[in-house]
Amino acid sequence: MITIFWAELKRQWIQQRRYALDSIAGILGIAVAFYGFFLTTKYAAGPAAQFGDRLDSIVVGYALWSLVTFIIADIAGGLQQEAFTGTLEQLFLSPFSPAKIFLTRALARLTVILVQIFGILLILMAVTGRFLSFTPTLLLPLVTVILGAFGIALAMGGLSLLVKQVQQILGFLPFGLFLAMLVPVETWEMPARLVGWLLPMTPGAGVLRELMARNQALDWGQLAIAFLNGGIYFAIGLALFKQAERIAKLRGRIGGY
Amino acid sequence: MQILEARNLKKFYREKGREVEAVRDVSLTLAAGEILAFLGPNGAGKTTSIKMIAGLIRPDDGWVRICDRDPHHQPQALKLLGAVLEGNRNVYWRYTPEENLEYFGVLRGMSQNAARKRAADLLERFNLAHKRRALVQSLSRGMQQKLAIAVSLMHQPSLLLLDEPTLGLDVEATEDVKRLVREIVQEGCAILLTTHQLAIAEELSNRVAIINKGEIVTEETTDELIRQFSGSAYVIETERPIDAERVRKLHLLGLECATSRTIHVADAPMLYQVLAILKPLPILQIQKDQANLTDVFLKLVRGDEA
Repeated sequence: MITIFWAELKRQWIQQRRYALDSIAGILGIAVAFYGFFLTTKYAAGPAAQFGDRLDSIVVGYALWSLVTFIIADIAGGLQQEAFTGTLEQLFLSPFSPAKIFLTRALARLTVILVQIFGILLILMAVTGRFLSFTPTLLLPLVTVILGAFGIALAMGGLSLLVKQVQQILGFLPFGLFLAMLVPVETWEMPARLVGWLLPMTPGAGVLRELMARNQALDWGQLAIAFLNGGIYFAIGLALFKQAERIAKLRGRIGGY
Repeated sequence: MQILEARNLKKFYREKGREVEAVRDVSLTLAAGEILAFLGPNGAGKTTSIKMIAGLIRPDDGWVRICDRDPHHQPQALKLLGAVLEGNRNVYWRYTPEENLEYFGVLRGMSQNAARKRAADLLERFNLAHKRRALVQSLSRGMQQKLAIAVSLMHQPSLLLLDEPTLGLDVEATEDVKRLVREIVQEGCAILLTTHQLAIAEELSNRVAIINKGEIVTEETTDELIRQFSGSAYVIETERPIDAERVRKLHLLGLECATSRTIHVADAPMLYQVLAILKPLPILQIQKDQANLTDVFLKLVRGDEA
């Protein structure tokens, strides 16, 4: 597993280095989009408006959203791309399971993305003048969000094994994810809060907002809920991917449409 | 040593609400150091069969064993298998040959170090060393195909599936691929080869299996199959025209000269009588009426249609 991870990391690194302009354009694109969103909101709210920790929350939510969107587009879109270009079947000829390969690939990609996201965050903080606090405990809620993102990515990846039109769903997905990342479920009262806990990645995003934007101490109860949420979405995604793989093999759909 | 055993493979697909039989009852075996040419017209079920062998399509019935391992249930069986699939790039075009070889080597279960060493060996052997750092998309079709074969050999598989390995290649690249296939099989690898270029199949294969409409219509050694479809007649061509006296003697045997220098002989016993008559006329050539794989293929496939 570690050997595949290094091989994938090397592959990602080569890609980033070889197509550096694409990577830089990606980071700048997200940052510019956020700046546009920020200016529009500021303009609409008027000069007297104070965003306070809401703005910090938006920065955290936006950074998380771009991370999650990257992960999902990478697994599901990448899988479809490989099917079109004709390399997918070679991946399925590996003694390692496709789920393991795609997860390892996503982990390697994530490592690269995290570096990029960190870059985006630095730009966002410079643009907005809001500085977020970074502590090692941030990693824990981040893991819960990533688990959920992997789950959704695997489910979408499985879907892309079976249907050609997954690109259209992938086009809409970021809007849904934007909502999930920005919903302030941690401020909701019961029973609405219960519903919030069921949304994908939302509890983890809430814990991250509390830590980063509101400088609050880590709420272990909330973190446990976030882990449960991430773990369940991951398990469901993995099960759906395996089921999709089974169906694709039965229908002879791997590698082509 | 038996490398591949596939028994009674069946595959049905649903198409527009009706069931289509892609593969009806395919059984194949392949031993180490053997090339089996798996031939058939388009849509006969070749690719579906190959993908069932590779574990990419699950058969509705029947089973596959590669060195006694089931590729559908034992992932370790895939360590024994390499494949170059038709209609696929098989390698990443935005990476170099070296990067592709090392990456796929690891993906087949090799360590990074072992993959690096093996990649260097294969690049040398496949005459790709000078292109090891060029992007695959910039290579010629022949080089890309050689790279795809090299990638499939990274983990030294016992069974290699080659689906149309010479499709779209120029003469030189085709010769290169043929040479490599011969070398690989000499090292003990078993090769299942599909191709529409029947002369290549005839040249390379030890055995031939022909599939039509999802069923194997014949499976024989290549020589035996060609022998079965060859006639027993001979054609003798002399260097100089056959004189009138000899033509008369041949006529007594019931033979007529096709041209002034050519005569058709029905079978082997008569051949020696004819040669005795022709002696000491210099003979240019004696040729047996030999079928080729194209004749065999067309007779079997068309015969099946009729």
